[in-house]
Amino acid sequence: MADLKDGKTTGHQWDEDEGFPLQEYNNPLPRWWLYTFYATIIWAVIYWILYPAWPMVDGFTKGMWNWSMYKELQQDLDDVAAKQKPFNDRLGKMSLKEIASDNALLQFAVSGGKAMFGDYCAPCHGGGGVGVKAGGFPTLADDDWLFGGDLETIQETISNGRNGQMPAHLKSAGGAFSDAQVDDLTQYVLSLSGKSKDAVAVARGDTLFHGEAACNSCHGDKGDGSLKGTLAGGPLPPVGAPNLTDAIWLYGGDLQTVRESIAKGRVGQMPAWGTGTTNRKLTPLQIKQLTLYVHSLGGGK
Amino acid sequence: MIKHETIEKNVSLMTILTLVAIAIGGLVEIVPLFFIKSTIEPVKGMRAYTPLELKGRDIYIREGCYNCHSQMIRPLRDEAARYGHYSLAAESMYDHPFQWGSKRTGPDLARIGGKYSNHWHQAHMEAPRSVVPESVMPGYPWLRKTDLKYDDIEKRMQVLNMVGVPYTAEQIANAKKDLVDQASLASDASGLTKRYGNKVPKDDFDAQPDRVTELDALVAYLQMLGTLVDFSSYQAQTR
Amino acid sequence: MGQQPIQQHLYDYEIVKKFSAVSVIYAIVGFLVGVILALQLAFPDLNMNVPYITFGRLRPLHTSAVIFAFGGSVLFATSYYVVQRTCKVRLFSDFLSGFTFWGWNLVVVLVVITYPLGITQGKEYAEPIWPIDLLITVVWVAYFINFVGTLAKRKVEHIYVANWFYLAFILAVAMLHIVNNLAVPVSLTDSYPVFAGVQDAMVQWWYGHNAVGFFLTAAFLGLMYYFVPKQAERPVYSYRLSVVHFWALSFLYIWAGPHHLHYTALPDWASTLGATFSIMLLLPSWGGMINGIMTMSGAWHKLRTDPILRFFIVSLSFYGMSTFEGPMMSIKTVNALSHYTDWTIGHVHSGTLGWVSMVSFGALYHLVPRLWGVSIYSVRLINFHFWLSTVGVVIYIVAMWISGIMQGLMWRQYDSFGNLSYSFAETVAAMHPYYVFRALGGAVFLVGALVMAYNLVMTVRQAAPAGQRVAA
Repeated sequence: MADLKDGKTTGHQWDEDEGFPLQEYNNPLPRWWLYTFYATIIWAVIYWILYPAWPMVDGFTKGMWNWSMYKELQQDLDDVAAKQKPFNDRLGKMSLKEIASDNALLQFAVSGGKAMFGDYCAPCHGGGGVGVKAGGFPTLADDDWLFGGDLETIQETISNGRNGQMPAHLKSAGGAFSDAQVDDLTQYVLSLSGKSKDAVAVARGDTLFHGEAACNSCHGDKGDGSLKGTLAGGPLPPVGAPNLTDAIWLYGGDLQTVRESIAKGRVGQMPAWGTGTTNRKLTPLQIKQLTLYVHSLGGGK
Repeated sequence: MIKHETIEKNVSLMTILTLVAIAIGGLVEIVPLFFIKSTIEPVKGMRAYTPLELKGRDIYIREGCYNCHSQMIRPLRDEAARYGHYSLAAESMYDHPFQWGSKRTGPDLARIGGKYSNHWHQAHMEAPRSVVPESVMPGYPWLRKTDLKYDDIEKRMQVLNMVGVPYTAEQIANAKKDLVDQASLASDASGLTKRYGNKVPKDDFDAQPDRVTELDALVAYLQMLGTLVDFSSYQAQTR
Repeated sequence: MGQQPIQQHLYDYEIVKKFSAVSVIYAIVGFLVGVILALQLAFPDLNMNVPYITFGRLRPLHTSAVIFAFGGSVLFATSYYVVQRTCKVRLFSDFLSGFTFWGWNLVVVLVVITYPLGITQGKEYAEPIWPIDLLITVVWVAYFINFVGTLAKRKVEHIYVANWFYLAFILAVAMLHIVNNLAVPVSLTDSYPVFAGVQDAMVQWWYGHNAVGFFLTAAFLGLMYYFVPKQAERPVYSYRLSVVHFWALSFLYIWAGPHHLHYTALPDWASTLGATFSIMLLLPSWGGMINGIMTMSGAWHKLRTDPILRFFIVSLSFYGMSTFEGPMMSIKTVNALSHYTDWTIGHVHSGTLGWVSMVSFGALYHLVPRLWGVSIYSVRLINFHFWLSTVGVVIYIVAMWISGIMQGLMWRQYDSFGNLSYSFAETVAAMHPYYVFRALGGAVFLVGALVMAYNLVMTVRQAAPAGQRVAA
């Protein structure tokens, strides 16, 4: 570090009438400072020669290395793809069941599925599929399914999405029933899980459920949902109507919420991840991985 | 240093030289962006915002969402995996102002469109931690309760047209109708799709069929983010 | 010293007093809002579902309050003081001085009203709506005329180095503010900017980075060049270094904006210019630190007794550290990790709390007793404030370094198969303890500012009533 040469200032002086006057030494530029400054300039010039740097009339200097951030990304993606290729090749050829019984491959698939699940699925289904506080989002880690928890059905659900429509029943919400009738239906639905004490209302609701309101056409004669239930002994359409008897609720099982569901209806929407034109579309291979991960969460059948 | 003596004794000279020194960098970096054609990639699918989306975007700006969310996916491996294709300059070419953001307290939103259901957005805006327990986002329950004000929607589109967004006279003339149509399930939307394409999501975004609220607009905006450009036809210059 | 005392009424001290007083108020308000925001990130229920205090609306209020209200008032106060004393003349126009004071404060008031109401143009650090932008422009032109007018009628041959920096700051801010806020109004409160997308991004960060460069760096170097030698009672270390680093800094800083846009849709060439110019900027930035610290050499013993000098030496150290960290973060590879994370927030605060605020505190402690013609109420309280500030900053930036680097690494952590290890939500959860520490650091810093306010109020109260000036 340069020392004060001779203690002499430039001879200029400011603000001398109060306190210490402002003066300036004229020490030389510290050498390390100057040389480091030169070094940064040389570094910059080399950088400009190697990388895209200066704008031209239409275009820019590309640099000797012909680097671009997009090429860099492509290189990274190619590297990962090459690394994962042996797994992916087998993943593509094998059925979901075969993969599920191949431990090494399953581990790979679950790893990929977990990574996707965290950002794509967890916001609705909760981390690890354990569900969330807000109503309307199915828990995936239990064995209560709307459309089915086997590998093929999960794959179908992820690929094409689901649309669960519960119609509104209250007149003012576009339905066909009075407030009293909706109350009766509510009591009946609660009674299916042993939560109603009003036997008279339950009886009236029972009649509506299996009659005028035709709730049984989706929820089944026993109200145990479109997956398990039956209608006059025959199977139900796969509409994702929940089982109302198991005390597991999609939107909530308190009187008010059940009534709200019946009165105003519900729309349950699972986005489609394998179709459509949106830019977050997953490949069939990715969907396979996600399927195997979801299946592994504990509820898989 | 004799030369500098002259400068520091002359206010005008000092002012002018300083101005010159500070003007050059900006000129060299900004001006070419308007002239170099490759700056904004040619893509298929970009369109101006629908009136409802535009109002949603105004709300996004009003609430300062850009303070915590970026709308710019970088060409990095982890972001490709987490968020999807990197963002193109073309995707924000109609964004006055741009909303790329500078901080990700929350995740990037450039391709949030279609990722989660409307029902999720409703629950999330009402109480973010009811769906994402880790979230530090504020709740926005008032959006659902506040009717959307769109008296000046035509004026907004006209101004945007002045600064380069290609709104047609027909789009501007039908702005109010298109806005309401997009936010309701019942109405006929043939005009909306004719003017903005049939990919425009049309829904009752706030689950309140009888009204058009701020939540309708914001969710409509979020649900289209990143969905416009047709990447199946886009060829990146990467090899 | 003091060969020929100039009559004190020559100078307009009233305007300096006014700006000094409001700067202390704005410091407290700005820091307080910052602490609230920090707490909201640690405990999000504090947003309380009230629109006016949600993070998104409050954060611009914090940035504007600390940069433009607090920082701006300190710069008005000190530049008006310095330019008068180093030119040996009164400010060019008393009317313009008053106009800048009331105009600037009106801007602040309007900002405080509009932001919580969600009335914003949505450009970071440039949120004020167009009528406020116009008002800022008018005030700024008045400031320019007043400052340059004073320089023009100076009674000293050479323009002192502090004034070069203030001048560059005034010019740069005018240029940046006008270009970045070009917009077409829709109504009194709404407008759409003329630029869009990638061009708007470039203009915005050309503005945003140079708000840091000229508002928070060049201008405060100007402040430093007056108050450090004055307080240390030592001549400036090197005139030559002043010249070289002034011109290098002015020319190079402007180019650095694109480093805020690495790996975005901004073309590679612009990004390269941003990175390389940021690296070249390191030594010119350090020129100010060297000149400041070396000016104090020979007066080291005074550090033991003079807490004001301690503020200066620590502020210059933080300045040196953050002007090293900045170029490092502008390297594309480093930026790929740091961008979008709290590392940036930590970096900014090591500059704004460590450098800008600390050097401002030092200047205010120097200034207030001289303006009111009294001695400081309590040197021990200055010392106390010094330690609160230093400890607060250190807690703050360490918390942000850890959380920022950790989050950046978590985002790009892969498992053995090459798949992402963490969901975004998991990385948010991991930030919580650091957000708590950050709020703590900020709160300690805020307490320091309150101690300063108390000390300065007690100092001023010693002065004769009715603001009568007593020679210091």
